[in-house]
Amino acid sequence: MIIDVHAHWGPWFFTMDVAGATLATMDRYGIDRAIVSSTEAVIYDAPAGNRALATALNAQANGENGERGGDPDNGRGDSPDGGRGGGRGRLYGYVTINPRRLQEAVRDLAEYLPTGRFVGVKIHTDYTGSPATSPQLRDALELVASAGCPALVHTWGRSVLDLAQVCLDTPGLRVIAGHMGADGFRYAIEAARACDRLYLEPCWSHAPAGRIAEVAANVDARQLLFGTDATLIDPSSAFGSVAAANLTGETAERIAWRNAAELFGLETA
Amino acid sequence: MAPTVILCALFVNGMIGRMAIKDKAGMAFDAWGLIGGLEVALDVDVLVGAYPDRDGPPGTPATVRAMLAAHRIRAGAVASLRAALFDVRSGNDATLALAAPDDLAAADALAVVNGRATPGGPTAGAPVAFVPVGVVDLRDPLRAGREMDRLAAAGVRAVRLFPDEQGVEAAFPSVRHVARRAARLDMTVLTGGDVRRFWQPFAGLEARVVFLDTHFYHLGDFLVAAADEPGFHTSTRLLNSPDALETVAAEIGAERLLYGSRTPHYEPIVPLLRLATSGLKPDEVAAVAGGNARRLLG
Repeated sequence: MIIDVHAHWGPWFFTMDVAGATLATMDRYGIDRAIVSSTEAVIYDAPAGNRALATALNAQANGENGERGGDPDNGRGDSPDGGRGGGRGRLYGYVTINPRRLQEAVRDLAEYLPTGRFVGVKIHTDYTGSPATSPQLRDALELVASAGCPALVHTWGRSVLDLAQVCLDTPGLRVIAGHMGADGFRYAIEAARACDRLYLEPCWSHAPAGRIAEVAANVDARQLLFGTDATLIDPSSAFGSVAAANLTGETAERIAWRNAAELFGLETA
Repeated sequence: MAPTVILCALFVNGMIGRMAIKDKAGMAFDAWGLIGGLEVALDVDVLVGAYPDRDGPPGTPATVRAMLAAHRIRAGAVASLRAALFDVRSGNDATLALAAPDDLAAADALAVVNGRATPGGPTAGAPVAFVPVGVVDLRDPLRAGREMDRLAAAGVRAVRLFPDEQGVEAAFPSVRHVARRAARLDMTVLTGGDVRRFWQPFAGLEARVVFLDTHFYHLGDFLVAAADEPGFHTSTRLLNSPDALETVAAEIGAERLLYGSRTPHYEPIVPLLRLATSGLKPDEVAAVAGGNARRLLG
């Protein structure tokens, strides 16, 4: 079982054509579940992107396209199911919020979280010009804490330390440091050790040797999650990096899915 | 202050629609199960030595060979960080010595030892050969030209550039100077740097170049440049979007792709996994895993 806590749904502006490849990409690596954010919501228009994703997830839940894979793929319905029972129920959503537009965020949280198909909040600090030190990000994360769901926040370099401070200052907030700081993974170690409500997920297009092993050796395994950044980044990067760390037993299981299931309240059986 | 809303009660209701998670038997992150029998005949991006400004592996030849063997990489195009960062001549001489038959025999013995301890595939202990790649320092273009002459006379077929490490920009005259010399000597150039800039000094020379740092973010720029330059190739190391390898194969042909790992400073299993799970045809996978590199580097 693998749960990907950092995935996307929708097209990208780079030289790539992956808008309909969400489930097929998961299938290549045996990823059973993914929590996705809308690329439109992340990059440009949060309400419009959330709305489109909600429609797609609703179609997924109703089994539309299900006989052909069920990928909420902008209506193409061309994704294989890889023998994993179609797309039904495999994708959960993040409500993406722009910290500069919190009234929109309030409306979207109230609309989408109760559906049960959205299980957390996504905030991209760069696309919204809202670094971890900004007042609007603090306000946004306070809103998330009041909503009672986890937030996935983009981090890079030292910014993961700033995020840890916000988390410490915000009672009840549970936050995932997206990319675990990328090249700042040693800061991520420091951040996770400072705040036990801060979680780390590893996705990055670069794979420096020993990065995951070092983090796993220095951070409580209960704070480690698995994320890929698919469909921007192929899961091979995170999957291979984690595999290279040769994690076993409880640590491997926690990273693969157990921590994610607990953090997002996904029922286990 | 954030707008205050009480949404928690709503979220409790939201739990109703969630599906149960059931674990399945089997090992999570079983990369070797996905890689299957794939082996790499020649890795175009291997280094010996360490970066003094970074925490990282020491990069001794023995440990590099062991890491390659553990990933079923049978040969590596190896270049010296000593040459790149400090002293070209002694670093290149050490590289040439690594490729000598005596050193390979020692590597055979080492590989047998490594084969017992490494986590790689079933034939991880096979010997690893080094194909020597010369290095020049772009901060001294005059000496760089002379070193290329010396390397070519010694039978070295490729030279590697480290513009980022040496603080050299694509528009510096030294880069064009080295590019011209390489074309004249019929040497393949392996170069780091941003492909959106470093394509330019090699244009119009009928140069054979492998861009080692091509990131999938910049894939479109590489493709339009390579369309006009049949000698332009790219490493697969950072082409790790879901369709980058397939896009290169479709646009300009899989013969332009070369497996590159940057062992020991990067995880070689990542590009290996990406290649193994790609949509390339088996003959294309074999070409990327070493056939193309053999054609360029011998």
